[in-house]
Amino acid sequence: MHRTAAVRFTEGRGLLTLILAAAVLWSLFSVEWDRDLFQHGGLSFIAQVFAALFSLDLSSEFLRIVLGAAWTTVTYAVAGIILALAIGLPLGAIASGTMARSPVARFVSVAGVRLLLAFMRAIHELIWAWLFVVAIGLSPMAAVLALAIPYGGILGRIFAELLNDVPEQPLRALRSSGASEIQVFLYGRLPIAFADMLSYAFYRFECAIRSAAVFSFVGIAGLGFQIQLSLDELLYDQLWTLLIVLALLVIAVDLWSSLVRRSLTS
Amino acid sequence: MRAMVNLAPELKQRRSRFRVVPVSVVVFIVLALTSWGTILLGDSGLLELFQPQTWRDAGEFAGRLLGLGVSGTPAFLDPASWSNALRLSIDTLAMSVLATAIAGLLALVTFLPGARNVAFGELRSGHPAVSIALFGALRVNFAFTRSVPELVWAMLIVFVVTPGILAGALALAVHNYGILAKLMAEVVENIDPRPARALRAAGANGPQMLLYGILPQVLPQFLTYLLYRWEVIIRTTVVVGLVAAGGLGLEFRLNMSFRHFDDVGLLLFVYLILVIGVDLASAGLRRLAR
Repeated sequence: MHRTAAVRFTEGRGLLTLILAAAVLWSLFSVEWDRDLFQHGGLSFIAQVFAALFSLDLSSEFLRIVLGAAWTTVTYAVAGIILALAIGLPLGAIASGTMARSPVARFVSVAGVRLLLAFMRAIHELIWAWLFVVAIGLSPMAAVLALAIPYGGILGRIFAELLNDVPEQPLRALRSSGASEIQVFLYGRLPIAFADMLSYAFYRFECAIRSAAVFSFVGIAGLGFQIQLSLDELLYDQLWTLLIVLALLVIAVDLWSSLVRRSLTS
Repeated sequence: MRAMVNLAPELKQRRSRFRVVPVSVVVFIVLALTSWGTILLGDSGLLELFQPQTWRDAGEFAGRLLGLGVSGTPAFLDPASWSNALRLSIDTLAMSVLATAIAGLLALVTFLPGARNVAFGELRSGHPAVSIALFGALRVNFAFTRSVPELVWAMLIVFVVTPGILAGALALAVHNYGILAKLMAEVVENIDPRPARALRAAGANGPQMLLYGILPQVLPQFLTYLLYRWEVIIRTTVVVGLVAAGGLGLEFRLNMSFRHFDDVGLLLFVYLILVIGVDLASAGLRRLAR
């Protein structure tokens, strides 16, 4: 079959390149370039912020505030991820459709629960936090629930996929020895998929720390709240301390979770 | 020597494998118990969750989101609200595309020297001290940009860039740049070194080896990651818009503070459609990349 280069270019990667280039051009046109794009005093802000990097606020009273805020953020992240696991595990098990007997039951459980999971994770955790603060008031539970719902949605979807991808052979062996679908799930699928599920949960824990830090925007305590305070009061030396502590916290959890993931998957 | 260097992490891994996981699980359980303990012992708001008044308020709030019990035409039935929401979601979409493009471009320019095998492994070229210093600086840069959340970047960037689509896109781009560049550096660390080796043996210089030996292998993976990040970015665009004043985010914030909850409900609905649409578009484009 003879094809010209022009025809080939409109397929696959060539077409992809065209679409992406067009999308980027379009997005550039939607910026109002003629307006004042930069703030007056923006450069002096950058200069001040970088100058403050050399005068970090490391006084013991401030560090105590920072560590307290970091601990609050960690507690919300941990509590949120625990609740997310409690939501994501059963929903993921149902959404995998592996326990349903009849095709109708499977379709209802898979389609219905997957739609629910998609809805839970489509809305960003900060938007959930805001809705919860308005609905149930400003409290740690609002933060925990706001994390648990979208993270439960993501965990549920990934768990469903992992449970589905389990190789069939060991399951067939269980079935032929007379195990029910529930037993096949408990003694076959779950133990086989467990390492990958645990590894993904640890990765999500790392994300939860970052998410919990920005809940401050709707008034919930934590590192983000202190960052906002330091920006409002133009205390850049405190801003840097907070940013560095946040970065160190995220990096520490990142290292921990990649250590766990590597030991689980190797 | 090289064989030893390559083997050492594997050996260490095999030895630690049986300890890392149980110890981590125990540490996490302790952390979970203390976290829940701290939250529940304080003013947690858990008791309020079981009071009927909370549920009545929450139910009323949910009803308002759907346009029940609002004075005047609810937003879901008002063409003006719809056209406004549509215009804002196009802005939001533009912001997400621009953010993905900037993040991708920045990552594309910087990811290579951040890979271990390019900095001081088999694929190194140039002066070792320079490439090691560059590696260290880039890795710190990747780690810092990705550990600071988009919203915090937005709070900082609006001091310099006028709030709008560009400011929001920049905030999203900085955070996602760190993620993308780190992922890409890891892809380079795991590539097949043979094409680059063959090129070097044939007399290629450093840049030629990178251009023809490494990039063709990693670019498809790069596109896939970029499209995945776009799905995450569209979700976060609304959040960044809360401070960077672009797209749906600002409108959401205004309607929240004016307690126009029916408008909030409409914006949430449009946002959902947008997120699902981008997920589908990204899946389609990823198929093209294969």
